Amino acid sequence: MSHTLPRRPLALAAVATLSLGLLSACGSSSHSTSPPSAGSATTGAGSGGKSGGTLTVAMGTAPDSLDPQYGYTTQAVEADAITYTPLLTYTHANGTAGSTIIPGLAQALPTVSSDGLTYTMNLRPNLTFSDGTPVKASDFAYSIERMIKLNWGGDSFITNYVKGASDYAAGKATSISGITTDDSTGKITITLTQPYGAFENVLAFPAAALVPSGTAMKALSAAPPIGDGPYVISHVVPNVSFTLTRNPHWAAQNIPGIPDGHVDSIQVSIQSNNQTEAQQVLSNQTDIFDPGDTLPPALLAQIKSQAANRFKEVSIPQSFYIFFGTTTAPFNNPVARQAVDLAFDRTATQRLSSGFMVPGCYFLPPGIIGHPTSQCPAGDPAQPPSAANVAKAKQMIQQAGLAGTPVTVWSETRSPRQEYMTYYAQLLNQIGFKATLKVIQDAVYFQTIGNEALHPQTGFADWDEDFPNPSDFYLLLDARSIQAQNNENYGDVNDPHIQSELTKLDAVPAAQLSSVASEWQALDEYVTKQAYFLTFGYQQVPIFASTNVDFSSIDFSGNDYMDWSSISLK
Amino acid sequence: MAIETSHPPLLAPIGGEEAAPAGIGPYRLALRRLRRNKTAIAFGALFLIVVILCLLAPVYANDIAHTGPNTNHITEVIKVGGKSRDVVSPDGIPTGPTWGSKFFFGADPSGRDVAVRLLYGGRNSLEIGILATIITIVLATAAGVVAGYFRGWADGLISRTLDLIWAYPAVLLGVALGVNLALGGISVGPLHIKGNSNWIPALVIGVVYVPYIARPIRGQVLGLREREYIDAARTLGAGHLRIMASEILPNLSSTLVVFVALQMAQSIVLEASLSFLGAGVQPPNPSWGTMISEGVSLITAAPHLVLVPGIMLIVAVLSVNVFGEGLRAALDPRATIRANRT
Amino acid sequence: MIRFVVRRAASALGVLVAVSILTFLIFAAIPNGNPALRLAGRTASPQDIAAVTKAYGFNKPIYVQYAKTMQQVFTGQIQSYTQHVTVMSQIKRGLPATVSLAIGATVLWLVVAIILGLAAALRAGSATDTSITVLGFAGISAPSFVVGAILLYLFAFKTHLFPNGGYVGITSGVGTWFHHMVLPWISLAVLYIGIYSQVLRSTVVETLSEDFVRTARAKGLSRRRILTGHVLRTSLIPLVSLWGLDFAGVVGGGAILVETVFNLHGVGQYVQQSVSALDVPPILVTVLFGAIFVVLLSALVDVIYAALDPRIRLAA
Repeated sequence: MSHTLPRRPLALAAVATLSLGLLSACGSSSHSTSPPSAGSATTGAGSGGKSGGTLTVAMGTAPDSLDPQYGYTTQAVEADAITYTPLLTYTHANGTAGSTIIPGLAQALPTVSSDGLTYTMNLRPNLTFSDGTPVKASDFAYSIERMIKLNWGGDSFITNYVKGASDYAAGKATSISGITTDDSTGKITITLTQPYGAFENVLAFPAAALVPSGTAMKALSAAPPIGDGPYVISHVVPNVSFTLTRNPHWAAQNIPGIPDGHVDSIQVSIQSNNQTEAQQVLSNQTDIFDPGDTLPPALLAQIKSQAANRFKEVSIPQSFYIFFGTTTAPFNNPVARQAVDLAFDRTATQRLSSGFMVPGCYFLPPGIIGHPTSQCPAGDPAQPPSAANVAKAKQMIQQAGLAGTPVTVWSETRSPRQEYMTYYAQLLNQIGFKATLKVIQDAVYFQTIGNEALHPQTGFADWDEDFPNPSDFYLLLDARSIQAQNNENYGDVNDPHIQSELTKLDAVPAAQLSSVASEWQALDEYVTKQAYFLTFGYQQVPIFASTNVDFSSIDFSGNDYMDWSSISLK
Repeated sequence: MAIETSHPPLLAPIGGEEAAPAGIGPYRLALRRLRRNKTAIAFGALFLIVVILCLLAPVYANDIAHTGPNTNHITEVIKVGGKSRDVVSPDGIPTGPTWGSKFFFGADPSGRDVAVRLLYGGRNSLEIGILATIITIVLATAAGVVAGYFRGWADGLISRTLDLIWAYPAVLLGVALGVNLALGGISVGPLHIKGNSNWIPALVIGVVYVPYIARPIRGQVLGLREREYIDAARTLGAGHLRIMASEILPNLSSTLVVFVALQMAQSIVLEASLSFLGAGVQPPNPSWGTMISEGVSLITAAPHLVLVPGIMLIVAVLSVNVFGEGLRAALDPRATIRANRT
Repeated sequence: MIRFVVRRAASALGVLVAVSILTFLIFAAIPNGNPALRLAGRTASPQDIAAVTKAYGFNKPIYVQYAKTMQQVFTGQIQSYTQHVTVMSQIKRGLPATVSLAIGATVLWLVVAIILGLAAALRAGSATDTSITVLGFAGISAPSFVVGAILLYLFAFKTHLFPNGGYVGITSGVGTWFHHMVLPWISLAVLYIGIYSQVLRSTVVETLSEDFVRTARAKGLSRRRILTGHVLRTSLIPLVSLWGLDFAGVVGGGAILVETVFNLHGVGQYVQQSVSALDVPPILVTVLFGAIFVVLLSALVDVIYAALDPRIRLAA
């Protein structure tokens, strides 16, 4: 079957974002009469390019699971995002433009009550799953319950906020009282326990996408459930390969803003040898190098010289930082933290990352609303600290009476994270502390430093967004996050100013985020000045494709994954 | 299982055989044979050199390279032959050997001096190899002697335990134990061994190899206990412990001496394998295995990361093996002891 | 004889049960952090952790957990904690690579070792003998992963003669499969070539001096006849039994290092990944799988030996 997208100017993609309310409103009435080709035209996000063909993707890391209500990793999202559509989703556009929320299977963005507790939406009429089964409003409630039953990695975003969800999780209730649905009208009402502005982002998780009621309440990794999206996952051989093919029932549903996708099928094979993976793309045997993998440093020079027109590095919203235990010596003293910030050489960590890190000092990464643009307190992060600054740091620690304080630096095992901390521990020694490095198995690292009773002094941490919203990052600095186990506020930061700002900012609905951008910026600058964290850089990922691919067509979603549906072949 | 008794010797003797001249004790005879075996002596000396070099690691680090095993020089620039060179390039590729006092064998991706780490890593590798060998020999001798001497239920219990360890693939058992113990350490009563201590891999390796030595020992003891002089000692009223200590153990000594050398080679190899798989020496401490494991992904751009510790490892193991074989040939020219292996 | 076989089988079964208990204990009894915390994820709330603990039964006594796990093992339903796919499906996926590696390496080491061992024995004391002995020692002393890494560097990266790792199924072309397997085979075989050639050398030397060979020579049989008909046949018996155990050891986990170096995606690498993720079910099943190989083949060797030599039967 051929899906020919009409050629249209690129600008329309941006226009479509702005006029979505209009499009969805008229889309619902003219829906049943529109022929498929017209439907494709209204999606708008397709910026032209050839349709059809097979795209081959090599992945070094297998998705944890392709089941939308269990898969949590980037690799899982790449496949699930174009197979399972949630009630809300994001504009399909490159970078930050791709972090705007639009309706997915819902007719429009939700109506939020004035107290911020009730979200009301209507399901689009005449939706079908990929086997032709009609989509019902109650499938939403079922899918959320399934996500909780399967212990999806981010299910606390539901259990912490949706009324009755934690009772359901604990087995005290047979359904979630805060979600009511009406299959005859398609009305969905969600009640929260407290206002939560990022809840629209939560509804846009692929894990909140709809699967049919009655789908088995266990992770279906080898045979993922059916969904409603441009593609269907098939031929899954876990840890080896899987295929995405077009959903035959998709085009007729005319959902605006979600492109049909260019290629007819996407064949993904798991390589687990990044060297092989990169060489296959270099020699055009495979089309896409999965951005979730690290390009082998040894091949980097060759790729940069031989394939410069099909390789680039893009920043993703992932911050690498050092946490400071704010309740124990020496880092309960802001002077100690600021001294470290003054002496830290971010070009060293950049080099350890083989150049795949942009040095930076602010916690909110570029691409997230609220990322400050002002100068860093310790000077330009892309330059090594001056000798004077290092000397000053030493002196500050001396004067604070902290010289010789023993410090344990916690680190993951994997490279280059361990190397970052090796450097850091040595820096601490250089400026007067007595640091020892403690390297922990990756599998248990975060649960180890997340044990509140441990009060870890300092160490490695990173945060990769769950969704493009600053509040997702500030979970890690929120005093309310402090808990006995799996604590994410590793340094036990508890600052009244942060708390009062968060109470205010967290309630702002995701769709109105840009109105509070300056408040977020001010907060992030405050946190950096207090040196609660030492952010040292933001992750970049490689976009690397074969010559068969129209390289300019590749969208890297603002929601942190490569959008396979954007890619067209030459 | 009795199969090992019917196995042929692992390695043919390197030195020639000779009849014992009258009036010379077995050990002096062995020493004389060993001395004549130039190959074994040469390799023994080589191993000694490796050990001494590793023991001198702090001297090399302080006085020649002027850096420590965990000190990094990521953003530094060094002069090699008048030209400036990044210790680690902006793309993350470490410099290769400079053949000078600093970074003689090049740097690793953290900008640490590979030569310094090689020597310090050797200390860890050798220390674990020696500790593990002692543990294996002590445990295996105790188990083998008790099982062979008492027979009956003690033998049954010990032999079944040995069967259990033996059926467990050695590398797998080592990795499973190593990974878990590295996380929590070991606490036995007041004694606590930290997860990153060298004792953990030493214990793991020591235990894994017990059956390979306990079984032949048991077999030998089974034969020894039927000898007349044991009966004589028994009729003279000697206790079991006394008989085991003064009659049986001395008769095992030549077997044990041979096993010590060969077991040392085995232990060093297993230590490297476990460290390669992340279950041995815990970072940031170096060992030859961890150095190889850290270097494998960069082998195209910085082959010295694998070649330097790899060759050192092979040299050390080879020299112990050849010397051990010479020792075996000297003590046991009829080749009744069979060496074990991974 | 039948009694011996039955007794041997019973003890083999006992060892397997003990191996499963030991593996379970290694992961469940040694403190390695609460598995529920890992499975619940970084953003888990206390309720999530409680729910996971309950769902996986981590709050039950350890023997109940063991019994439940073993029941799932026997029904083939046991799933990995981290990926939620059945362990059996993953072993099935990895087996072709592991078996390819083990069989190919085995053929290689037997052929090469027999040639080298014979050559050394027939020229005992010569320069050929000495150099083969030296080679043998080098082989025994070179860990497979070091050999593998060096081979990769020389033949895959420097000269591009062979692919740089990865496994290609035999179904996608025997040539490609072979091409991918050559370096892993050599890496694994080096150690065994060292051992086997030396074992064969000494048994052949020993056999050549035995009476029946002298008799045969006296009867005027040709040197070739004596070698192939008498000496080699006698000398190969211990080699075959050694081989049984080593093959089992390789399939049952010995290949873990070579698979990791070459990224073969075999059973060994699966274990390695599961161990670093502390994912107990795959480790338990693969260890059992390996132990079954070791125990079965060693029992078989015992029985064959007992059949050949009645004294062993009495001693055991």
